Amino acid sequence: MKRGLFIALALVLFLALVPGVFAQKVTVWCWDPNFNVYAMKQAADVYNKTHPNVQIDIVDMAQDIEAKVSAGLQAGGAGLPDIALFQDFRIEQFLHDYPDAFVDLKAAGVDYSKFAAYKVGPMQVGSKIYGIPFDTGSTGLWLRTDYLKAAGLNPDSYAGKNLKWSDVVKFGVTVKAKTGKPLLAWQSDNFDMLRIVVQSTGGQFFKPDGSLNLRSDAFKKSISLFKDLNDKGLLYSVVGWSDWINAINSDQSAGFLNAIWMVGTVKSRPQNAGKYMIIPTPLIEGVSGAANASNNGGSSWYVFSSSSNKAAAVDFLKSVWATSTPDTLAFYNTILKGAGAMGTFLPSQSGSNYTARDEFFYKSQPVFKDFATWMAKVPVLKYTPNYVPMRTAVANAVQNYFQGKLSSVDDTIAAAEAEYKQVMGE
Amino acid sequence: MALRGAYERYLNRFGWWCVAPSVLFFSIFYAYPILSSLYYVTRRWKGATNTFIGLGNFIRMARDNVFLEAVGHNFIFMIIQVPIMVFLALLLAVLLNQGIKSFRGGLRLAIFLPSVTSLVVVSVLFRVLLQTNGFLNNVMLGGHFIASPIGWLSDAFWAKVTIILALTWRWTGYNMVFFLVGLQSLDPQIFEAAEVDGASKVRQFFTITVPLLVPIILFSAVTSTSGTMQLIEEPNILTFQGGPSNATMTAALYIYRQAFFINFDFGYATSMSYVVVIISGILAAIQLRLLGGERATR
Repeated sequence: MKRGLFIALALVLFLALVPGVFAQKVTVWCWDPNFNVYAMKQAADVYNKTHPNVQIDIVDMAQDIEAKVSAGLQAGGAGLPDIALFQDFRIEQFLHDYPDAFVDLKAAGVDYSKFAAYKVGPMQVGSKIYGIPFDTGSTGLWLRTDYLKAAGLNPDSYAGKNLKWSDVVKFGVTVKAKTGKPLLAWQSDNFDMLRIVVQSTGGQFFKPDGSLNLRSDAFKKSISLFKDLNDKGLLYSVVGWSDWINAINSDQSAGFLNAIWMVGTVKSRPQNAGKYMIIPTPLIEGVSGAANASNNGGSSWYVFSSSSNKAAAVDFLKSVWATSTPDTLAFYNTILKGAGAMGTFLPSQSGSNYTARDEFFYKSQPVFKDFATWMAKVPVLKYTPNYVPMRTAVANAVQNYFQGKLSSVDDTIAAAEAEYKQVMGE
Repeated sequence: MALRGAYERYLNRFGWWCVAPSVLFFSIFYAYPILSSLYYVTRRWKGATNTFIGLGNFIRMARDNVFLEAVGHNFIFMIIQVPIMVFLALLLAVLLNQGIKSFRGGLRLAIFLPSVTSLVVVSVLFRVLLQTNGFLNNVMLGGHFIASPIGWLSDAFWAKVTIILALTWRWTGYNMVFFLVGLQSLDPQIFEAAEVDGASKVRQFFTITVPLLVPIILFSAVTSTSGTMQLIEEPNILTFQGGPSNATMTAALYIYRQAFFINFDFGYATSMSYVVVIISGILAAIQLRLLGGERATR
């Protein structure tokens, strides 16, 4: 009797394990449950329709994902997942320092002509391309039409126009004079706004040989622009993310220069309804290659070579994120509406949510359509492996310049170069 | 005789077996990393590759202004914050022990609680409170203590003040508990005798309490000093990775950033760690000499 029970138990356990043996597991690391985790989940659902045996496990990793990944890579791949999300500005450092850590997806058959060019740039090393581009940080100039009107300006005269920064400074001064509001909220400890402007000029921070390119015309003009904005009182300085959100949602500034993903934040405050208008990123004059478009942020998915389920991981990314089928196009459409996540897969941009008008914005501007249009024009910026120390050095120098500790643009550039050399040990 | 020898040997063996697990863990998690770090120190690391550079890391460190400034900041925080905090902790302990009669338990808890809260949570909350447009500035503006908002997080000087305030807020209670324990062990008769002789409370504090509590003050000072040398979380989260413009960068934070963000240069980071450890050791030795020496002569 006991023996029979034992055999029955063993059989049940064995049978329970059998499907487990055949199910494949793909682990994904990413952050932000409302954005990336949500998008990945939608993708997993689409994949499971045709591949029910593949279990896609999404882990929400929060802040220290990059430190964890570098520790895992140092350990030769121990403890790493199959797929991970990387911010675009950091991936070049990883690709350069851990050359064999990622799977070449171009060789696996992904068609990169279907993705926005500026997203593919950072993930390409030689003839190999490593990631699947995900969200765009297509930028625009966000303006509060109520403050424009209060300053006696007509918002419609700016709607959809490709302005130059000199035009923007002009009406910014008017707004400040009539309403007292600075035109732009500005994160003083953050490099991003400066980079948005530099990227819009098509400028690069590094020369092709890897040395600093801070003495370029594009960079000097960008710093001068912000100094000018600062001197005219058109910048409202904040420190850190929550200060930034607080400033915008408590009406401290008449607008800001930032990316599409601010949509969620702006919409979270009901009083913003009907007030915001987004126009193309302004142009820096006198620099060839400048465009009325730029990018801030954005990440992409990468597959680790150390993964035990490489084939399944690659197939999942390729078939859901990089292939056009009615299901995948519907997926891209859903995540746009559900999380404000605009992918960079060009065929998906004809989706209904991409072209819909959004009543939350001034005159029901179809904001996603605009961002998608601008996205196609974003100049390619090569971040290079040494982007992180460079941006810290530049952000520090610019902060000192604005606080009066440095007296000119050339001094600022020299200070940035000096700090960069110190940190890099050159 | 022979029997005793065998028993002794048995006891010895038994003793070693008992200690074996500890020794094993110590070797794996303590001794091995320290020994292997000697290997890292002589190499320039870059992700998956590394090259031998001898003492190159130390030469680089001597020329690295960011590192030197970071160590300078550690010293500034230490010299200003540790004495203030130890004195404050002592004062609070004396007040809670002798001065305040009611709500003692509640006050003790309230002062001690900061040291057991999550560092990250506290830093994030303080960040919000200290915004340019945040609670503290608004209160001070409203009460007319200041004319324009203070850049707690955006000004180089005030950011250092913020760190010192955050550290003091967090650790005063922790050290206060040690002093409270120490105070319990003091003989009340000494104080009664002093009272009879006409010494004021303040006089008693400085001439009786403080000298008798010197061992605990020494303990507090040494642990706080070494803690401040290892300061990483507050500059990382509260002032945004050592900002503004490296004004609150500390040695430990710089080591962390060099290892995981800037360069993946574990060799350089390890070298810097050695230097920080040596500095901490020297400081501890100095303090033991200054404060601990008195005990030995009495």
